[in-house]
Amino acid sequence: MAFNLTRRKFLQTASLVAAAVPLSKVAYAQPGVAKVSLEPKGTMGDTTVVGGLCEMCFWRCQLIGKVRDGQLMKLEGNPKSIDNGTSICARGNAGVKLLYDVDRLKYPLKNVGQRGAPIWKRISWQEALDECGSKLKAIVEKHGPQGICVFPHGASAKYPMHYFERTVGTHNVSEASFFQCRGIRDVAYVATTGKAPGEFVDMANTKVIFLIGSHLGENIHVSHIKAYIKGLQNGAKLVVADPRYSAAAAKSDIWVQIKPGTDTAYLLAIMNYLVTNKKYDKKFVAEHTAGFDKFSAAISEWTLDKAAKECDIPAAQIKEVAELLAANAPHVAIHPGRHVSWYGNDFQRERALACLTGILGAYYVKGGWVPPKNPKLGKTSWAQQEHGDEHNLNVSHDKKVHPFNPPGTPTELIRDCAISGKPYPIKGCVIWGQNPMQTIPNQEKMKQVFKAMDFVMCVDVMPTDATMWADILLPESSYLERHDEIKAGTGRIKADDKEPTQFIAPRMPLVAPMFERKDQVYITNEIAKRMGHAKDIPVQTLEELVDKTLATANITLASVKAEGGIHLQPGQSGYGVPEDFMVQLFSEEIAAAGFPGAPTYIAIEEVPAGFARLLYGRAPVHTFNRSQNNVWLNQQMPDNPVWLNDEVAAKIGLKDGDIVGFINSEGVRSRTTTTVKVTPGIRKDAVYMYHGYGSANPLMSTGVGKGVDDTSLITKIAIDPESGCHGMRNNFVKLTKDGKVLDIPA
Amino acid sequence: MPKSATNQHIASLYHFLAQCMHYPDPQWMNEDFFNILYQLLETLGAASEGKEIENTLAQSSDPIEELQIEYTRLFINGFPHVVAPPYASVYMDQSIQGGFALKTLNFYRAKGFLMEESADLPDNLIHELEFLSLLAEEADFEGEEEFLSTLFRPWYKQFCPRVAQETRHPFYRMVVTLIDSFTKEEEEDGFQLNKA
Ligand code: SF4
Repeated sequence: MAFNLTRRKFLQTASLVAAAVPLSKVAYAQPGVAKVSLEPKGTMGDTTVVGGLCEMCFWRCQLIGKVRDGQLMKLEGNPKSIDNGTSICARGNAGVKLLYDVDRLKYPLKNVGQRGAPIWKRISWQEALDECGSKLKAIVEKHGPQGICVFPHGASAKYPMHYFERTVGTHNVSEASFFQCRGIRDVAYVATTGKAPGEFVDMANTKVIFLIGSHLGENIHVSHIKAYIKGLQNGAKLVVADPRYSAAAAKSDIWVQIKPGTDTAYLLAIMNYLVTNKKYDKKFVAEHTAGFDKFSAAISEWTLDKAAKECDIPAAQIKEVAELLAANAPHVAIHPGRHVSWYGNDFQRERALACLTGILGAYYVKGGWVPPKNPKLGKTSWAQQEHGDEHNLNVSHDKKVHPFNPPGTPTELIRDCAISGKPYPIKGCVIWGQNPMQTIPNQEKMKQVFKAMDFVMCVDVMPTDATMWADILLPESSYLERHDEIKAGTGRIKADDKEPTQFIAPRMPLVAPMFERKDQVYITNEIAKRMGHAKDIPVQTLEELVDKTLATANITLASVKAEGGIHLQPGQSGYGVPEDFMVQLFSEEIAAAGFPGAPTYIAIEEVPAGFARLLYGRAPVHTFNRSQNNVWLNQQMPDNPVWLNDEVAAKIGLKDGDIVGFINSEGVRSRTTTTVKVTPGIRKDAVYMYHGYGSANPLMSTGVGKGVDDTSLITKIAIDPESGCHGMRNNFVKLTKDGKVLDIPA
Repeated sequence: MPKSATNQHIASLYHFLAQCMHYPDPQWMNEDFFNILYQLLETLGAASEGKEIENTLAQSSDPIEELQIEYTRLFINGFPHVVAPPYASVYMDQSIQGGFALKTLNFYRAKGFLMEESADLPDNLIHELEFLSLLAEEADFEGEEEFLSTLFRPWYKQFCPRVAQETRHPFYRMVVTLIDSFTKEEEEDGFQLNKA
């Protein structure tokens, strides 16, 4: 360029230039740097800010932030916490890197290109909100509230979700945490015991920890892992059923290397053994269960031998597990699991776990399932309004399609309706904190949904594989920059305290939001005003929302802050079975709905010749796809090697570290490749990888293309009939190397 | 320190360059602005670059929107990849608001300046140019040199070629090159090409 001068020469001409050109006539913006009239201060020093609540995962560990000049330097566990204490996990620490991620969304963006291939333009909040409000309003006017579907996730999505569900009036809301994760567990336990089970197993005080597929240690939630470790230190026996030698299996006393999908058969055989050998808790069964006779009859076919054959494990091992449980009952922790949407037969497995806990009498006893008595807090949100079931896709001819669905509408019903336009058009899509491209199976189908829309809006902190499909993309303040979510729980101040203590920890910002990021109350309210719902707005600010909720416990944000970010109050022990507590071993309600009244094993599709079943799970340093762009976490675990059985590897000529891709049984190839981890620690008929890698969005400059996106290979859809939730482990893959497809030998 | 006309002129050039890096908006990016820009380029012997910008703008049905889209792609959230966020920390710490931003802020402070409430992060290119403008106004040449060599050039020389090479609009190629010329020491090595 002609003016590629040096500074010195430039300066020599500066006077000439400035004198000749009326630079002062430009309409300058107000400068951001200004002279201080007082003596300039040095650094403002370090401060400790209390009230943080982690959301690198959903466990909500309590945090403090070390802040220097408004910049968050470090996160630590809040010393006042009686939950996680001063500990936080790797992901919790790496929250700093989410906060300051270069790729984070900063301003409202409008897509002036195409969905899926966006061209972004920064726009003002005013314009963004006007566009969202008017587009959504037009859809409601033309198609009714059911014309909008919502995919929410996380603490910030609750308020907008309630707005769209309760005030606007659409049933078409699908939360990934329910329909692709724990919903089945909750509804199965509710149908069996009347209560969602959480992970309320008293592992610290138990004699046996019994896990089905839960890979604690790779799956880390601080206080939960602390209780698990304490239990093991106290001598609890650990029984782990897993096709893979997981971190938990590595610590186990009995590792049941079960054939994937057959867990219910294993559970039925254990229960049948306990019943036939009269090793169950007769008193508990008599007082707190219903349908024992029908239940016993229904499971009687499940002999040890039959289950051994079905599950591909030794009969003697099933017996050994059953004996161990019987010998230690009722102080046994039958873990309900968390991510349980596996095979499309999962409601029955979760029922079986609830029933097994019942016949062992392991509810409300030391070492068993013990729900904590948490502080009672009121709820503040949009008021409930009646919208009828006429447009509820889960109701057909006055009958529920999936009678035991978690709150919201099963995802597949929404997607089918959006794509087909039947029974009615769905034309608006609101995505809030969820990444449906990497949480919901069959990505092509999700793309079809987006393409069928008149309008798609996304709210998130980061770009994701879903934000590429938005028309308007709004930047949200992260969990470190806003109030919201209140974690209320129970713990012990000192380990040997007789009585527990309750805690209430409302989230408080550790630093101010940067750029133009806004919180969910602001965004939702502004859209609500534009959609004609100004009079229904329940609170003006997020702070007000939290304060109103805290008022129900006679505390305020200010008082909790003064207490160090966590309010403590006396609690009560959760031991002691409530008189009216009942376990439906045989459920007349489930039978009346047309499903097996006793827990029943439903076999799943066998692995076709030449393929392996694709299994996935959590990495200890990642929370699914949400953390794949985090620089620190990416350094810890940059990709997700595929676990391959050593004998299989030898037969197909693969060795540890080889680079491979995938092709699934429906012909879908992985976009990227990963390395092979050759190990005897996985069955021959399965491969395993960590979930949440291989983003397709180049806007995630750290995570894009690293490892393989397992969800892209989950194209076959299984639906759990009782709950309508997805099963995501019924997909089969072959490996590819250098363009060659490698058959997996039997 | 004495305030000479030259200082003022240098200060106003920095200020003008800072303004060029604001998000395009017809409020300031109007006919007057472009006329001043063309005059400036002509005085610098870069009339043809001015013409190129003028032609590009004339060809567009909505030239400001085109610049907004390009600004977003280059500096905010581009697709497939944001080209060059205008923050020092991104290049020095691989982070927004990293240690380098704090160092920059401390430099401002030591010189008796602070950030306004409404300001972006201290290591934003705009604010660094504003700061340089203020130093020039005070004729604090030493401070200016020190800031340029320790806090500005180390990142700017990575930032500039990214933009110059990747941009699809002559306006931004011109602006970053102009800033480069205005801040580059003679003896400084040619910059490393650092592809985004
Ligand atoms: S377990 Fe880790 S990521 Fe989850 S809330 Fe606690 S510190 Fe955060």
